[in-house]
Amino acid sequence: MTESAVDDFPSEADMGSDVLVTADKLTKHFPVYGSGVVRRAVAQVRAVDQVSLTIRKGRTLGLVGETGCGKSTLARCIAGLIPVTSGKVYFEGRDITNLSRRAMQPFRREIQMIFQDPYGSLNPRRRVGAIIGDPFAVHKTSTGAERKRAVQDLMARVGLNPEHYNRFPAEFSGGQRQRIGVARALALRPKLIICDEPVSALDVSIQAQVLNLLADLQDDFGLSYLFIAHDLEVVRHVSDAVTVMYLGRVAEYGPGDAVYDHPRHPYSAALLSAAPAADPDSAAQRQRVLLTGDVPSPINPPSGCRFHPRCPKARDLCATADPPLETKAGDPAAHLTACHYPVQEGEILARAGRREHR
Amino acid sequence: MSITEVQFQATAVEDAPAKAIEGRSQWQLTWRRLTGDWVAVMSMVVVVLICAFALCAPLIAAATGHPVYHAFPNKGTNAFGQPVGPGVNGFPLGTDAIGRDLLVRIAYGARISLFVGLFTTAVAAVFGVSVGLIAGYFGGWVDTVLARIIDAVLAFPFIVLALALAAVLNPSLGIVIGVITFFSWAGISRIVRGQTLSLKEKEYIEAARSLGAGPWRIMFIDIMPNLLGPVLVLATLYIPTAVSFEATLSFLGIGIPPPAPSWGNILAEAQDHYQTAWWYVVFPAAVLLITTLAFNLLGDGVRDAMDPRTERILAGGKTATRRRGKHRGLSLDEAILVGEQADLSVDHPISRTEEG
Repeated sequence: MTESAVDDFPSEADMGSDVLVTADKLTKHFPVYGSGVVRRAVAQVRAVDQVSLTIRKGRTLGLVGETGCGKSTLARCIAGLIPVTSGKVYFEGRDITNLSRRAMQPFRREIQMIFQDPYGSLNPRRRVGAIIGDPFAVHKTSTGAERKRAVQDLMARVGLNPEHYNRFPAEFSGGQRQRIGVARALALRPKLIICDEPVSALDVSIQAQVLNLLADLQDDFGLSYLFIAHDLEVVRHVSDAVTVMYLGRVAEYGPGDAVYDHPRHPYSAALLSAAPAADPDSAAQRQRVLLTGDVPSPINPPSGCRFHPRCPKARDLCATADPPLETKAGDPAAHLTACHYPVQEGEILARAGRREHR
Repeated sequence: MSITEVQFQATAVEDAPAKAIEGRSQWQLTWRRLTGDWVAVMSMVVVVLICAFALCAPLIAAATGHPVYHAFPNKGTNAFGQPVGPGVNGFPLGTDAIGRDLLVRIAYGARISLFVGLFTTAVAAVFGVSVGLIAGYFGGWVDTVLARIIDAVLAFPFIVLALALAAVLNPSLGIVIGVITFFSWAGISRIVRGQTLSLKEKEYIEAARSLGAGPWRIMFIDIMPNLLGPVLVLATLYIPTAVSFEATLSFLGIGIPPPAPSWGNILAEAQDHYQTAWWYVVFPAAVLLITTLAFNLLGDGVRDAMDPRTERILAGGKTATRRRGKHRGLSLDEAILVGEQADLSVDHPISRTEEG
């Protein structure tokens, strides 16, 4: 988005008090090193480029996009796990961008993560009690019997048998392991839990259980979630607001129903049309928007609108001017789209996109 | 059995006092597999016997009435001043060149050999794991410096260093321990560094960082338990190396200085007499061979036991699925890597080494 578009960002002015986390023009570039003798950055992977978003207290912000669009990188920047190239992250109005480990420590208690892989995110050589008790050990909040009781309470809360305290992760199923991950994230009573594809690795029936657990916990503890997934229906189910990302940029942001029912960005429309519909009658009526070509390399992203080489509506302007993220005519104020020629109601986008002309 | 009975029983089970549910740890499983392998059990027995032999050295000396440094010029040598054979004049394994009891000397030599083997391996393991962890976890220039030091140590001709040291300083137990430790830690470091490089990319390490855990906590609480397996295998295989290393140095006269007995210097002394006194060379050499073989087989067994692919528990304790043969012809480190691949499901460290 352009400089002016940031001023349009709705959260700061009208809803300042219930904002938990703000990312302001967050950018993360990863250097690509050449093969020479001297390590020298020859290029930058623009994983996240000028992304702004807002997470509200007690709400869920969904983040969707293809693999490699920068969702997880954005999450790790917000969680302070990787340094940010530029831009700012605010937690309850305080700047937490690139804090030292020590300075970040109080915010670690407020921001926790649930990871995608229930097998990879639990140390196979440590007992479940030790894994869930880790947050207490790191933050030195309780010891001995007190910690054990707290851990067993957490296990009961997420639907695990507290007697399994001394078991190893390998003795649990995928769904149970993800519950262990949830219990660990919950231990310090954080305000924000970043869920990085928390159900992608699970069976559909288990997905529902974990999603319901997360919803219950949100009600009980007033949690906020940043919920990353590539399953669009899951995101719609859990999210109050949805951000659609494409190649390190925000393509569209808005309330879940607005984005899902009236997508304005051609990419969102294509993405949503690709999701299978549960109702066969409506499925027959739907138009699939077929995109051609692959996602361009984030090392050398397209000029102007990053989606233009694949966009069925692209015109000359799209190749030169970067569209601002703004409210389009006829949309609610909270619905933002970064497109010069947004999709109109009833418009048929089914025409195959142009071949990449770059 | 009626339905009510079944229900009654079910409630009875639930009401029973909750027994602590203890997960079977990796170590318990490893122990079960290890004890199902008769070669490993046999080598464990042999190792225990040799340790007992070493510990009982003073008792053996007391029982035979032959103190370790005491020469018996009259009953310990024959009319030509040569050593007497096994069983002659109350010497169970015969005597050495000046009429000392060979059994007692070998028993005291076992103390030195095992002490050197265990002590140097323990020090090398602690130092090697620390250096490998730090190099692998911190990366960057720390890793570059430490990795080059490791390479330099591994490239060093150890006999030359030992000879040089012995020429400058007087040979002593301290120098032997120092030299062996100096050449042992680097191999362990290299393996640990490789494992750490792949382990630190695991999601559970990122999870620990997201909790706010610092680098030392991550290294020693999160990564270290995953390294204990390969380090244990490596250490078991380094013990016999250190034992024969000590024997080599002592044989060359740059190790344990006589009259203190060591298998190496007994063998060195035996060089002049083996044509007339076979026992003088056979018994110390046999003990050295049995010890190193037992430790090597035990190390092999430990490695197999840590490898779930052998699945010996499912095979009912049979050893039919032994895969030891596959590892033959590989170097020690390669064999460890092969053995550890499945166990730890880590990437091959070689593929992780820095480019350029």
